[in-house]
Amino acid sequence: MTTIREEMWKARGILFNFAITDLKIRYKNSVLGVLWSVVEPLLMLGVLFVVFSTMFKTEIDNFPIYLLLGLITYNFYKNGTNIALVSLSNRSSLITQIYFPRSIPAISSCITASIMLIVELAILGVFMVALEFTPPVTIVYLIPIYFLGFVFIIGLSLGLSVLNVKFKDIEFIWGIILHAGFFLTPIFYRFDFLPEYVQNILMLSPVVQLVTMTHHVVMYGTLPPINSILYTIGSIFVVLGIGYLIFRKYQARIVEEL
Amino acid sequence: MLENTITVKNVSKKFRLYHEKRTTLYESITGSINRNPHYETLQVLDNISFNVKKGECLGIVGRNGSGKTTLLRILSRIYQPDDGSLETMGTVVPVLALGLGFHPELTAIKNIYQSSILLGISKKEIAERTEDIIKFAGLEKFADTKLKNFSSGMQMRLAFSVAVQVDPTVLLLDEVIAVGDLNFQKKCLDVMRDFKKRGKSIILVSHNPSDIELLCDRAMFVKDGHIEIIGKVPEVLDSYKKYMSTLEK
Repeated sequence: MTTIREEMWKARGILFNFAITDLKIRYKNSVLGVLWSVVEPLLMLGVLFVVFSTMFKTEIDNFPIYLLLGLITYNFYKNGTNIALVSLSNRSSLITQIYFPRSIPAISSCITASIMLIVELAILGVFMVALEFTPPVTIVYLIPIYFLGFVFIIGLSLGLSVLNVKFKDIEFIWGIILHAGFFLTPIFYRFDFLPEYVQNILMLSPVVQLVTMTHHVVMYGTLPPINSILYTIGSIFVVLGIGYLIFRKYQARIVEEL
Repeated sequence: MLENTITVKNVSKKFRLYHEKRTTLYESITGSINRNPHYETLQVLDNISFNVKKGECLGIVGRNGSGKTTLLRILSRIYQPDDGSLETMGTVVPVLALGLGFHPELTAIKNIYQSSILLGISKKEIAERTEDIIKFAGLEKFADTKLKNFSSGMQMRLAFSVAVQVDPTVLLLDEVIAVGDLNFQKKCLDVMRDFKKRGKSIILVSHNPSDIELLCDRAMFVKDGHIEIIGKVPEVLDSYKKYMSTLEK
């Protein structure tokens, strides 16, 4: 027991150290440096915003906010899992030279993604002011929604980080899944425009559930239906459990594959 | 009777040598249908038992590939042994041939922070020691230089300085002394003597018999994964030299 406590105590410092180095290395050799972490999402959101709001005819109220909210939420999963995916394989020199708990890179990737999420939400705030959109009070429920999202990413990240060391194809497969997920998630369209049987299938995805929840609390000022909340919590903990089991199975020997 | 800082009992380790390494999912699916063995196992360590006492320095000699580095990795918990048990006291810090897990894109100072945090030092303590680490390594001019611009000798010096400042109970050194210049080698030897005086243990892997004679109280000759002989330094070195000369013929 004491060793686990000691490890977690040590881990506290490492987690944030990794999370911040990840961000810094991401923008290495750039003139703007860490400023890119604000400029990059701003420009990305700007491009998608222009594309989707001018090229698509849509009947969604406050479409810019709707679109940005979906993009930001989806980016959270995309960034977290993408960073976690290579978090072990990119640290081979570190892992073969010093011992530290193997779960730390995956968890710190989720912290990096959370920092990026906060920056993007601040940008969303700026857009809300600029577009004179007053969010309903239910917007505070974004906090528990993103917390659930965080747990979900940790589950995925733990599994993906070790699997990508074993099987290099995971990186490509995951890229395709993220691409497909972008179109299968109601980011730039309304979910109820889809045929009902398609909706029923897509509702199985925790990401679709979480994005829909953010629409509820930010766009419509309503709470998501209770069965949707229960399903989301359940499915996320299943993902976390599976991710942890995969991680536990491979973590001890992963260093020999690096 | 002095306490043991390291107790190793019957430790074995096998590695898989892949003939054609299967790293993609497709290969491992087709490979599992096609039942030909695609790897053989290599017994890297075979039933290793020894211990190290407080204030003692143990030298390890052996050919390249005999399992010395694997043993150090097991002692520092980077590898898990397949069999056997391992008990260590306090902190064990390894300085393996390639450094201390430095990141090429980070500066010397940032790397000191990262490695020290991983070795369990608090940020406050690191801040106090950074200057000493840089000074000891003789890298004052390069504190803010990225590690990718360091020579291998400079990286090694930095790694050794960090490890020493962390002040571990057990220090594992793999071919470290040979990399530095003469002045740094002298500094290393002084530090290691001081370590021993303060009751710390050192395990030193070296191909240079004079380093082992100079510092070690006992020595161990590892041959093809098992302990050929462990005991007094002159006897072990004799046996090692004899073995190496038979290989030459």
